[in-house]
Amino acid sequence: MWVYEKKLQHPVKITRTDPAMAKIIITQLGGPDGELGASMRYLNQRYAMPNDKIKAALTDIGTEELGHMEMVSSIVHQLTRNLSMSEIEKSGFAPYFVDHTVGIYPVDATGNPWTASTIQSTGDPIADLHEDMGAEQKARKTYDNILNLCDDPDVRDVIKFLREREIVHYQRFGESLEHILSGLDKKNYYAFNPAFIPRK
Amino acid sequence: MNDQKTLLSRIATCDFVLHETALFLDTHPDCAEALAFYKKHLEMRKKAEEEYTERFGMLTHRDYNGQNTWQWTEGPWPWEYEEV
Repeated sequence: MWVYEKKLQHPVKITRTDPAMAKIIITQLGGPDGELGASMRYLNQRYAMPNDKIKAALTDIGTEELGHMEMVSSIVHQLTRNLSMSEIEKSGFAPYFVDHTVGIYPVDATGNPWTASTIQSTGDPIADLHEDMGAEQKARKTYDNILNLCDDPDVRDVIKFLREREIVHYQRFGESLEHILSGLDKKNYYAFNPAFIPRK
Repeated sequence: MNDQKTLLSRIATCDFVLHETALFLDTHPDCAEALAFYKKHLEMRKKAEEEYTERFGMLTHRDYNGQNTWQWTEGPWPWEYEEV
């Protein structure tokens, strides 16, 4: 169960609109390494996870990712307020505008809608945790690329915060993987799925 | 200094510390230092939240405190930053 708290995890206060930047940043909502995928990946992986500590980590990190989704959406929303039609046309925002006006819809930077095919939930804790560590690095990479493209300090402040969180999550998933590996049956030398042993 | 902003920012800071410490505790559940750190900030958070909800309104709708109107619907909502 979740309860909504009427605040952002980290404030988003953007004073200057920039629809071209919004088109880039929206990928962290609906793109392959974005926050919607992150939350869905972790929250769905919990059920096959055999270790209680890691169930907690997936729950808490997955929940934080929902908050990050809200922060990315807030950036896009604030970057696209009070636009004139000429700003929309000149900035390359028109293809998004024609379908969604200035509503928030999860797409990547080239307009492809979010898809569950960018995430996995394998039922194998070792495979899942490797994916999760990779996912955090891939999200960190996207935030680094955004920082290379964006000069607005109001936007950069939020992006830097989100980037730092990827680093912390990577660390926690690394520890989670160690917990699983150190608890493996010694005969399971090649680290096959310890969570599914077919009934005889 | 705007009291509401200051209090909300104190709550957000406490929440960040609590969340970060909770993630650490998920993988280090017996760390006494982290447990004490969590407890200290939880107390700070409770105090700030009490003062905030008494003076300025609701953070979750469970903060309802008998007012004649349902303040939950009052903006601005978190994504609606406005220069004050």
